[in-house]
Amino acid sequence: MGIGIDIVEVQRIQQLAEEHDAFLTRVYTESEIRYCSTKKNRHQHFAARFAAKESVLKALGVGWARDVRWTDIEVVNDALGRPRINTYGEVKRLMEEKNIKVILVSLSHTASYAIASAQLVKKG
Amino acid sequence: MDERAIYEKVKASVVDALGVDEEEVKPNSALFDDLGAESLDLLDIVFRLEKEFGIKIPRGGVQASAMSAEGENLKDEDLVVDGVLTPLGIKKLKQSMPEVDPARITDGFRADDIPTLFTVQTFVSIVKKLMEEKGKA
Repeated sequence: MGIGIDIVEVQRIQQLAEEHDAFLTRVYTESEIRYCSTKKNRHQHFAARFAAKESVLKALGVGWARDVRWTDIEVVNDALGRPRINTYGEVKRLMEEKNIKVILVSLSHTASYAIASAQLVKKG
Repeated sequence: MDERAIYEKVKASVVDALGVDEEEVKPNSALFDDLGAESLDLLDIVFRLEKEFGIKIPRGGVQASAMSAEGENLKDEDLVVDGVLTPLGIKKLKQSMPEVDPARITDGFRADDIPTLFTVQTFVSIVKKLMEEKGKA
């Protein structure tokens, strides 16, 4: 069992995205960029996804350890619009190693802040 | 590029990313505690340094370079268990981050908290190492 939470300033994400060409592609998957880019308030959505990635890393207890990429954690929305977490690479391997079945996530955002919490659910 | 020149550029990136005064930034300034950085600021600094030096600093690379010792084949679990540094992990971290006051790395130190130890000099060392590797390639 593990939980993680993170809050970020939307304006900070917007600034990073505007100042650094590599920011979006280093941090977000193609599908995340596609999804957020269709939104009017896209930086809020990018910020919420950033908070989600950080909260998952906190729940897993990896921090900046290991060779983890931001894109190893992907937020997708299911048919009902609920956020779901897909994992790849090192994070996927870590989930298997820790016997984690699924990572639950919840997101919320305002014009100023985005927040996310993640919870690990073990198998069995 | 010598270390002094790297330091000046790292310092400029830190000043720009954090919006702090140049006089506040010293080699041993802790980014979080002394200069008020947050985790997103580290990312900002990383992107600025990548652009400035034409290098790529992988997300895990900051810590990996802090924790890896050449000639040793250590596994993750030798250094970190359940997110907490092992005694060997603590020893290795102190060795690989000589710029950090060893008193700050105590029993039960979490791997998550390693970025809170970063000083301006930490980034100078990382850039220097990556520049040397780039030179070899």
